[in-house]
Amino acid sequence: MFSTGTTPREAFDRLQIAALVGLMFIGTAFVFSATMVNDLAATQPWYDQTWVRQIVWYVLGFGVAAAMCLLDYHTLARWAFVAYWAMILCLVAVLVPHVGSMRFGARRWIDLGFFQFQPSEFAKLAFILATANFLSRPPDELKQPVIFWKGIGLMLLPFALILKEPDLGSALVLLPTGLVMMLVAGTPRRYLFNLIGTVGLLATLFVVDLKFLPTRWQVPMQEYQRDRLLIYFGRNYTDFAPPGATQAELQRLRQKQADDGYNIRQALISVGSGGLVGKGWRQGTQNALGYLPRAVAHNDFIFSVIAEEEGFVGSVVVIALYAVVLFTGLRIAGQARDRLGKLVAVGVVTLIFSHVFINIGMNIRIMPVTGVPLPLLSYGGSSVLCSLFAVGLLQNIHIHRKGY
Amino acid sequence: MLVFDELKKNEPHLRLVAMLLVAGLCVLLAGLWWVQVVSSREYQSHLETQAFRTIRLPAVRGKILDREGRVLAENEARYNLCLFLDDLHQPFDTAFGELLKASHAAQKQHVAAAEKRLGRSLTKPERKQFVLTPAQLQAQRVAARFLVASGIVAQVSQQMDEPLALDPKQFERAYETRLALPYPILPNLNASQIARFEENFTNKLGVDLELQSVRSYPLGDTAVHLLGYLQHDDSSEEGEDSFFNYRLPDFHGVVGVECGFDDELRGRAGAESLLVNSQGYRKSENVWSQPEPGQNVVLTIDLDLQRAAEASIAAHHGADAQAAVVVMDVRNGDVLAMASSPTINPLYFTGGLSPEEMQQEHARRADLNLRPEINRATQENYAPGSIFKVIIGLAALEAGLNPQELYTVEADPEDPRHGMYDVGHIRKRDTAPPGKYNFMRAIERSSNSYFIQVGLQTGIDRIVALAEKFHLGEDLELPTRQETSGNMPSSERVHEHWSAGDTANVCIGQGEVAVTPLQMAVVYSAIANGGTVYWPRLVSRIEPQDPTAREMATNLPSALVRDQIGVSARSLNILHNAMLAETEDVEGTGKAARVGDALRICGKTGTAQVQDSANRTTGYNYWFASFAPYEHPRYAVVAMVQIPGAMMAGGGGAMCAPIAHDIYETILEKDKAAAGKILAAN
Repeated sequence: MFSTGTTPREAFDRLQIAALVGLMFIGTAFVFSATMVNDLAATQPWYDQTWVRQIVWYVLGFGVAAAMCLLDYHTLARWAFVAYWAMILCLVAVLVPHVGSMRFGARRWIDLGFFQFQPSEFAKLAFILATANFLSRPPDELKQPVIFWKGIGLMLLPFALILKEPDLGSALVLLPTGLVMMLVAGTPRRYLFNLIGTVGLLATLFVVDLKFLPTRWQVPMQEYQRDRLLIYFGRNYTDFAPPGATQAELQRLRQKQADDGYNIRQALISVGSGGLVGKGWRQGTQNALGYLPRAVAHNDFIFSVIAEEEGFVGSVVVIALYAVVLFTGLRIAGQARDRLGKLVAVGVVTLIFSHVFINIGMNIRIMPVTGVPLPLLSYGGSSVLCSLFAVGLLQNIHIHRKGY
Repeated sequence: MLVFDELKKNEPHLRLVAMLLVAGLCVLLAGLWWVQVVSSREYQSHLETQAFRTIRLPAVRGKILDREGRVLAENEARYNLCLFLDDLHQPFDTAFGELLKASHAAQKQHVAAAEKRLGRSLTKPERKQFVLTPAQLQAQRVAARFLVASGIVAQVSQQMDEPLALDPKQFERAYETRLALPYPILPNLNASQIARFEENFTNKLGVDLELQSVRSYPLGDTAVHLLGYLQHDDSSEEGEDSFFNYRLPDFHGVVGVECGFDDELRGRAGAESLLVNSQGYRKSENVWSQPEPGQNVVLTIDLDLQRAAEASIAAHHGADAQAAVVVMDVRNGDVLAMASSPTINPLYFTGGLSPEEMQQEHARRADLNLRPEINRATQENYAPGSIFKVIIGLAALEAGLNPQELYTVEADPEDPRHGMYDVGHIRKRDTAPPGKYNFMRAIERSSNSYFIQVGLQTGIDRIVALAEKFHLGEDLELPTRQETSGNMPSSERVHEHWSAGDTANVCIGQGEVAVTPLQMAVVYSAIANGGTVYWPRLVSRIEPQDPTAREMATNLPSALVRDQIGVSARSLNILHNAMLAETEDVEGTGKAARVGDALRICGKTGTAQVQDSANRTTGYNYWFASFAPYEHPRYAVVAMVQIPGAMMAGGGGAMCAPIAHDIYETILEKDKAAAGKILAAN
């Protein structure tokens, strides 16, 4: 009856999809470069090779995300709390000794044979849906303190469980996600400022305590976590040796410091020696010569490989692609039909941004080393699937956006 | 921007989020800018430090040649059979893989056996005890490498028919610290071994010949003291990089010409860089600075005269004689021959001796009487004895002595065949018979009494002044680091508690006077050439090894005048005639040196007592100092032999003049041959 006279609305946000495809392409190329460095790798059958598996995850994730878009996100949101509690259960399960598999000193995966299921990744999505659902009540209700604390509780439960694994990085990304969602939902600012202020103060005290005060006064924490922070702040382990340590023990501490700081040192050398234009695809000497440890080159430190091989230009391209995804996501948030959609979109955007910031920051040493994957570029089934699901949610919200 | 336009509509929260995103991304970009653009060079250098290894490549050492270009010291190729560990990392990995498979199979068996025993499948912690620990894995890697390496060594051993063994500890250490360098398994192959190796090892995986440059002295121990020897030293020179990861063996000279001209001989080391991966294996190499070969040093030595001198010493006195000979060109101070006995075996340092030979040589060097490493021509002080009398004679003649004046020498009451002279209450004995002596006869017969009288008359001050003109008691500033300056009492010394007896000692070349044979050669050259004291010259020029190289040879200045003795031609003439008589006259003590009228020789014999600290005579220094030809002197020859025990009959005339005779014969032959060539050319 009424003709709108406007251009026909496309169903999918093409710009975001284009950026996504760009990232997937880069991901494949650099996982290839990071893993196919010696003859041993070339002798593996093609279906076993890492980059092929990455493509498989891409295709799978893309397919499932597309399928998800057929459903209205409201349908998904109805199951939000079911998913949330299911994920909490999985997180508890992963901590149980026989169920969760221990790798590198952390219990983060459930071994399903063909697939290492990492509940924390899926938990992040479930958390976003559940929180968005929770926060999409009328804004006035949010002014009540009890609702505020319930929201915080919703965030802290998975946070604590993930932290126990231990997986500081994944736990950390929940915090800004939750807080930003609360901000956008309309929680009174002063609640948030008070909370952030207090936490900030505690964090600063903690850092001061760690950096400047002698050993006796320090807050007890796990040794490897303290070591990570020491590396980050550039302090020597030997400064924190127990009094009366012998030369042999000090030497061992120094060696340990060298070993612990090895990854970040090699990552910095990789990133820095890339220079402006990099050394060329598969010409990265750090990777080819094995200085960047093979175990981490294709996941946590994939950005170092990209930075070494494509230089500053390449880094900027990667960041630009992420920026496109993030800002189109914000645009989707702005055009969302209702508060639920807006909150989910904002949550996803903040989640992706937190991953990007922490991972790239870790590669250039502005953040301490935490095991946070780079969405879509790091190798890893759970990470790829969840990133694609997340963007799928964004597309979903976009499809069902405001008609005006 | 599209996104921001849409956000401006009533979405303050989203705007805030957008700004936070922008801020975060800017922080990342700023950080990346800092690391990748600003600090890029620093990180690149870190990369190079960890991934690059530098190797110092020593240059080819220059040769040492005699004045006509004949080789005295050169370099020889030495071939070592080595394992090149770099090329073996494939076999190492494969061997490790096999070992790992075997141990996994063994592990499975153990698990199965344990399960059988327990009758159930094992739990995870129980399984864990069969898993290989990292330490065990490392041990397997080490074992795999050793397996591969010893397999290769066994192959080589069989083919070469040599018993070879591989020491596991040394091998592992070489693997860990010097992976990029070759690991020697059989050093110094001879020609037939090299041929065998080349025939049998067409597939030279990991094993190959390494070429090393080793110093060789093709003439054996000819001029060994002058040449000196080398010692292992691979430290950086001035102007080189001081940091290298690996240094290939290099040498520096310790004494002699090898030491004095070490900078020129050594050239400049080059550098090579290797790219290594995180396990230390070489990926590529790049020589970024070629070594500059050392320059050749051309000595003033004439090989014919040097060999003649050494052969003559050995022929007349044997290989263990303590002797020295110096032949000098009187016109410019060039040292034509410098021989010292006993000699050392230069292979002692370059490692070419068998263990028994090394033992022998070692014992020889430890012998305090032999002390073969001393260059007796320059490094030992000897009492000159009667050859010092020429200086007394000149001083006396300058002071107005009448050479025809006759002095009477009294007979020694205890030994009437010999003369004597009393200085105060000290009796100075003479080897010459009593009688009347003029200057010529005193020189001929080497009369102590005459010269003591004359010397006392002239006064010690004049003698010391003249000796100072000859610069006795002073260094000759040789580049070879092997010299002593002798001893000559100074003008202050002779006024402090100085008696006539001390003067008498000086007059006969004993007491506080001590010289080196080279110093005496300088003195006699000065007497021969009319009074110019030259600086002795050992090296004539320094030239590039490659004759087609662009650099020019550097000629070292010759005929550098140190002093003029300021003695009148008349005095010198009188002395020359007297010295001629010594070799040509029937009474002359130096008759044995005579070679005939083709080359007329002026000489002076000497016999000096060697006394220990208690002033007991333990032996004698026998001298013969000479120059020729009489008409226009060209060569000065000084020969010295020190023999412990009682005085040998005939003194210097019998002990040393024959050596001079041999050298003059050689000179004569050379002159004839040279003249013949000129005639032939015409």
